[in-house]
Amino acid sequence: MEDVAKELLSRLVRRIPLVRLRHVLGRWERLSKTQLLSLDFTQPKWALCENLLSLCEENEIAVKDLTEIEMLYRSEYPDQGVWHVFQLVDTSEESLSSDFMHFRDQFKANLKDLINHVSIKMKKLEDESVWIRIAWGGNFSRPNHLKPTYVVHHLQTPYVFVSSLANKHKPLLFQALALSAHCGSVKDVNLSGRCLTALRDLSMRQYKQVFPSRHQKRLEERDLLPNPSIENEHIKLAEYKQQVASEVFGDGVLPKLETAVYKLETKYREHGSENLARRDEPFRGVVKFSSSNLLESLKYCVSSGMASTPVTPLLSSITHKGRNYFVIKDKQHGSVPNTSASKF
Amino acid sequence: MSLLRPFSKLPELNMANVLLVGNDDTFQHVLADAIVKQENNVNVNVRLARTLPLPAENEDSRPRIDLVVLIVNLRSELSLSSTETSLKHLDTGFFLGKVCFLVTGARCTSVPHERLASLRKIAVSLHCPLLFTEDQTAKGISAAAGRVLNILRVSAGLVPLATGLGLSTLIRCSLPPDLDCQD
Amino acid sequence: MACSPPPATPRSGRAPGGGKSYAGRSRRSLGVELTNIGITPGQLTGLRAPTSRGFPKSRNITEHVDPEQIALLVKNEWKLSYVTPLYQFRHVQLKSYSKQLSAFIVSEKQQGIAVEIGLETNFKVVFSVVLGLAETEDDAETVFIQIHSKPPFAGDGDVPKIIWSGWLTCVGGNPDYLRSLPSGFVCLPLFCASGSESLTSLVKLWFERTFDCSFGTLNLNSTYLQWLASMWTGCHHVSSIRYLKLVWNLPAQPPLDISYTVHPQDAWDLWNSVREQDSTGDTIGINEVERFMKGLESHFFRHFRIYLSAGMLTKVSTAFGSAHCDGKIKVCTLLQPGIFNIS
Repeated sequence: MEDVAKELLSRLVRRIPLVRLRHVLGRWERLSKTQLLSLDFTQPKWALCENLLSLCEENEIAVKDLTEIEMLYRSEYPDQGVWHVFQLVDTSEESLSSDFMHFRDQFKANLKDLINHVSIKMKKLEDESVWIRIAWGGNFSRPNHLKPTYVVHHLQTPYVFVSSLANKHKPLLFQALALSAHCGSVKDVNLSGRCLTALRDLSMRQYKQVFPSRHQKRLEERDLLPNPSIENEHIKLAEYKQQVASEVFGDGVLPKLETAVYKLETKYREHGSENLARRDEPFRGVVKFSSSNLLESLKYCVSSGMASTPVTPLLSSITHKGRNYFVIKDKQHGSVPNTSASKF
Repeated sequence: MSLLRPFSKLPELNMANVLLVGNDDTFQHVLADAIVKQENNVNVNVRLARTLPLPAENEDSRPRIDLVVLIVNLRSELSLSSTETSLKHLDTGFFLGKVCFLVTGARCTSVPHERLASLRKIAVSLHCPLLFTEDQTAKGISAAAGRVLNILRVSAGLVPLATGLGLSTLIRCSLPPDLDCQD
Repeated sequence: MACSPPPATPRSGRAPGGGKSYAGRSRRSLGVELTNIGITPGQLTGLRAPTSRGFPKSRNITEHVDPEQIALLVKNEWKLSYVTPLYQFRHVQLKSYSKQLSAFIVSEKQQGIAVEIGLETNFKVVFSVVLGLAETEDDAETVFIQIHSKPPFAGDGDVPKIIWSGWLTCVGGNPDYLRSLPSGFVCLPLFCASGSESLTSLVKLWFERTFDCSFGTLNLNSTYLQWLASMWTGCHHVSSIRYLKLVWNLPAQPPLDISYTVHPQDAWDLWNSVREQDSTGDTIGINEVERFMKGLESHFFRHFRIYLSAGMLTKVSTAFGSAHCDGKIKVCTLLQPGIFNIS
């Protein structure tokens, strides 16, 4: 086996937890049943790797077969690494078709036109999502399989999710995507996170939204105060806050975002520092919210009073616009901060 | 300014009403549960509020409040400032044995000393007791509930020969001598 | 390093004539100060927070301390503890202490107590003195401890790695207190450790057994972090802080961390605008610090309508270093005229 293949295999064995590795190798279908059973998953990883290596040499496995393992692993457990969301804009009638074969052939042809040495693997999953693995090479160098880019695209939607893309490859990928999907360009949605399903739900507004309703019996349903001896003086206020929180951030299981970043470029306007308020330059800063589940935390802040209502558009834009990176500038003719897309 | 008045309503037989005022919803609910569960002899009603003044629409249905417990979480500065605002909406009659402070988070070493010091000064100037409690354990919460109930029974007049005012002179907060000489 | 007074009175007993409440008065130093450790009549509540601090003038530490040793101090993030005075600690016996401590660690490991240390053998402990950190005559010299070890299958030529380091220091201590200590006691009240928890507790245990002292956790409360933020910002004109980063933690479910990184020039402008008219460059008052923090918090509130005061300030960092409320600090440069004045 080639050195590159050996390196890739050992890296895969090192990185993938044993339980998942066993599952993925089972789905790989390149090892016979007996070979698979001969592997001992209770060994230390380096021993397992050697055994696996000898089996692969027996079956004459090449690099492109090994990349299938990685693809299987990444698509089965999509919460590895950070995904960035992009959108295909200026779509024409031809675009957003559901023809996988057509898209695949077009994409491969287009990308290979743009760059000589590149290795592309594409696969369509049952949920209509297309997974693309790209190993980039240079003009004189072979594709680097140790740092692949992953792209996930749901046909018939304009959204594309990208992980591990270097800046120098960005224009190439976007051009290939634009050509294959028959759209004008690819735009950064400014949304990123580790959980692919959460990003998908947030972009496509698939989480459970709540709309204002006059007949909310929310708190009574939840039976927060079962005891008749306990009465909440501010129950109406509590219900109102709960309602607002649900409206802004959703209900049920919320998409799992980890961070939200705001680049502030607004003027300082507080009392007590008139010198500062008078000057024209903005008071620059960057605010970053982080939590294991950001939307849940923010929802709790609103319902518990740590965030006052009405909820500021800066926070509600996370769910309403489906993004978590914002550049906030002052409105030209007003004093309310305005969100704007960052320039890329 | 709408004040909460202690004697504007008639008391009810064998009943005691306590008002818990504080920012922390979870702790309030748990404490209220513990208070109601612990008391068997008397009917105890617990009313929860985030801050004073209380909403006017509840004025009629609200019973006479026998004890106001101001819950302060030392871990948050907002809790202390919100308590200070609430104090302004209490009629002075309450401070004759019908108010007490319940402090949580005093063990947290990341809390600045000044917060507790300033709370102590407030409690001393108002002649109120200052109770400390542990809010993270069930044992701490039931201990807090027990102490609140002890004070509540007296201030509701359910303990013979004891009045709220008398009790408060015994258990009210006082400044330790070193803090005294700072001023 | 500045150190906070341990709330307990030292084991040596009450110092004679010490009836004063603890009062904070900082003195200039290399960037590190020690507030007076006052002896209260045994009351925990006798801690008075300083209302103003002197702005330290920079004392060029590189003139006094060996650069290699400085490099050791600025490399790591240190976890702080306070120590009561050490009984019969002699700076001249450091070599013997090195042997005793390494023997102690090995024996504890053999007893199976410190299992997390792993397969390493051949612990070598080195005690050394860092001259120059002590500020006055009364300060004891800083003692630096390193634990080296070789992994089990290392060759002969392999250099042992440093797996743990720590130091005990006293800088700018209150001379009255220091002189009032009974003879035989050495006061090195600040203990900084970097390395695994198990080794840290072993080292502490050895010290406790050998010198009859006791260790306690030192946490940095939010007021102290606010002082740091203000004072570092105030030094921006001397040496750029490059950024001012503040991190709050809000008790939401799940807990929410909010970090606010301010552009250094803008932070400096804000700091200047809250300084009182008649303030000299030398002292800053608590009012100014409060106004500075209020300014940042209300600018934040205007945008997000979230009350940062409902949470706790947990971390402050600039190019000069960082401080975390759990008692972890990092000093990035000793050339700063910054302050580590914990009270």
